[in-house]
Amino acid sequence: MHDHPLDLIAAFADGSLSDEAEARALVESCPECREEYRTQTEVIGWLAATPTAEMTDLEKAALHRDLWTEFRRQPGKSPATPWWQRLAYVAAGLFVTVGLVSVLNNDTLNGGADSGANTTADGAFDAPTEETPFVAQGSDDGESAPEMTTETTAAATATTAAAGAGREESFALPFAELAEEARANQADRALTEGTDRDVEACLARVALDEHVVVDEIDLDQIYLLVMPADPEAEPIVTFVVLPRCEIVYVG
Amino acid sequence: MTVPGKEAELLTRVVSGDRDAFDAVMRNHEDRVFSVCLRILGDREKALDATQETFLTVFRKAGQFQGRSAVGTWIYRIAVNTCYDQLRRAKRRPSESLPEHVDPSDPSAEEAIESAALRPEIEAALAELPPDFRNAVVLSDLEGLSLPEAAEILGVPIGTVKSRVFRGRRLLAKQLGNQIDQ
Repeated sequence: MHDHPLDLIAAFADGSLSDEAEARALVESCPECREEYRTQTEVIGWLAATPTAEMTDLEKAALHRDLWTEFRRQPGKSPATPWWQRLAYVAAGLFVTVGLVSVLNNDTLNGGADSGANTTADGAFDAPTEETPFVAQGSDDGESAPEMTTETTAAATATTAAAGAGREESFALPFAELAEEARANQADRALTEGTDRDVEACLARVALDEHVVVDEIDLDQIYLLVMPADPEAEPIVTFVVLPRCEIVYVG
Repeated sequence: MTVPGKEAELLTRVVSGDRDAFDAVMRNHEDRVFSVCLRILGDREKALDATQETFLTVFRKAGQFQGRSAVGTWIYRIAVNTCYDQLRRAKRRPSESLPEHVDPSDPSAEEAIESAALRPEIEAALAELPPDFRNAVVLSDLEGLSLPEAAEILGVPIGTVKSRVFRGRRLLAKQLGNQIDQ
């Protein structure tokens, strides 16, 4: 029975031994070792002859397009802004908007005059532009005011829901896209069998005990994606944050 | 080539929602991730899906990267796990299939596909390997990673990877010998 260490021979074949003396001696003296060496060397040679696989230009373009489709509601190219600063800008923006509407209404009632409202020529409100991805920046960066308002509102919703509990998400999730993806993968709802007790208790607390967890996103805190257990029910996706056990999005 | 510390900084910026940083991370690693997925799954379409899924996971879990390994190692570990998940879902042997969206007018397509293709008998023999052995051989012998790197990606001790690589090669040789005999 052959009892020479074949792993030593294999390591000798791929050049990973620091001291090859013992292995070399075995290969020279032992037929089985020699056969192992030949086998390992042959396979290494076959595999090493294959170049690294690469995507075609078209495949890369499709990959980037599909990924950015998933991320299109993410914060733009501006650097990160602390959560409290984003919240402050959002609040300031809403305050200015409300004030502007109020002043314009007064102007209309009083026969109109320059209200001195602090707006830019295209009507977007004057707000910090460089470091705040959630505030309307005017038309020069291609974003239309109504679209940015929607994003602002969505961000404010996500922000405020967490702020109410004294904490803040440091990362704005694309709730709508994730919900759409969860609905598209409804067939996987059965994967949620065996939900742990803490999650079950949490779902019961927020009146989602007839629901199942279809996905879980683990960032600075855990986001559960919850859907009705009944596949025939309307596929509404609810996001619940652990461990606060709080609903942050429904869609 | 990005300096390791610089890559970790890019990942920190990804957590903050910096799209440019994510774009840089993706472009640094997309070819290697695709190559690993293609070798493990043996199917170009599945490999493209796995590549996309890998980077989606990278994006979502960037905040969990703790810097205990290189960013590339962390990403390739996600890629391998993603491929494992695909294999489990498919529950069948990977098979070669024609890529659906290859554009006949794309001059690089045919060359890229042909150059990446393993010899059919090697492809078939690789597909016959148990997944643990296949992944070890792919990372070590096809992708050229060191045993410590492969061990970190696979989440097993170096000795385990070494053993899987050596035994994987033996099984490949045996499988190829059987194919030749047939």
